[in-house]
Amino acid sequence: MSDAIVGSELPTVEMTSTLTTSVLYAGASGDMNPLHFDPEFAGEVSPTGDVIAHGMFSMGLASRVLTDWAGGPDAVRSLEVRFTKPWPVGEAAEFGGTVKDVTDGVATVQLWGRVGDVVVLRGSGTAALPA
Amino acid sequence: MAVDAELAGREYPSYTYEVSREKIREYATALGETDPRYFSDGDDCVAPPTFAAAFTITKGGAPLFGDEELGLHWNLVHGSQRYEWGRHVRPGDVLTCTPRFGGVTPRGGNEFVSMEVECLHADGDLAVRSIATIVLFGSAPQPQEAS
Repeated sequence: MSDAIVGSELPTVEMTSTLTTSVLYAGASGDMNPLHFDPEFAGEVSPTGDVIAHGMFSMGLASRVLTDWAGGPDAVRSLEVRFTKPWPVGEAAEFGGTVKDVTDGVATVQLWGRVGDVVVLRGSGTAALPA
Repeated sequence: MAVDAELAGREYPSYTYEVSREKIREYATALGETDPRYFSDGDDCVAPPTFAAAFTITKGGAPLFGDEELGLHWNLVHGSQRYEWGRHVRPGDVLTCTPRFGGVTPRGGNEFVSMEVECLHADGDLAVRSIATIVLFGSAPQPQEAS
């Protein structure tokens, strides 16, 4: 894993959401809300007037930032995120994090997701460091 | 029609979820994961942490949406999500998941509903605890006019 030093930045993860990624995530997660892949339905109910990525898809990508850095899923203890703005389908997003604290072998990492300058996800996670 | 705040803490019947290797693979593929353990045919196979979504979000929410006394509706967004993991899940694990209505907080005209699901391994160890906050638009009780 990379440095577990307070203030270090974690390697980022990039993803462009498309109708294909939305349909794959719908099938994989079981969340079949057509808001994420049906433009006609989204036109009636979406906060943006168009299809948006699953919030959980963005959380999964923020989780990738943490697992890639921590050396795998077993290290991850908790994750908590807020979906601050919709992520429009068709847009590229970037996810990253910063080490905020290291105490008793557990790192606390602040996580973010951005579409351009817009923050779509904000949160934090904890992971056990290798002994 | 507002959500019934007095039902905070109401538990719903447990359901089981059997973790499969193929479903882990499908989930990891959807996230563009590259860790070979998510795609392994061996004993080292493990699920990405947020694979928990596959057995807590739709399945965990269904009994709450089906509870007419609770009064949820579908004009909503997923506002926030917390997961606390115990032992991460692997193929063949059979989980027992118990949904619970955590409570409701009005804010503006909207209602912030807390939906919880606790998922245990067959030996009773915690697999994951999910706390979702769902924002229901427009249904918060209106302030009473002073008379």
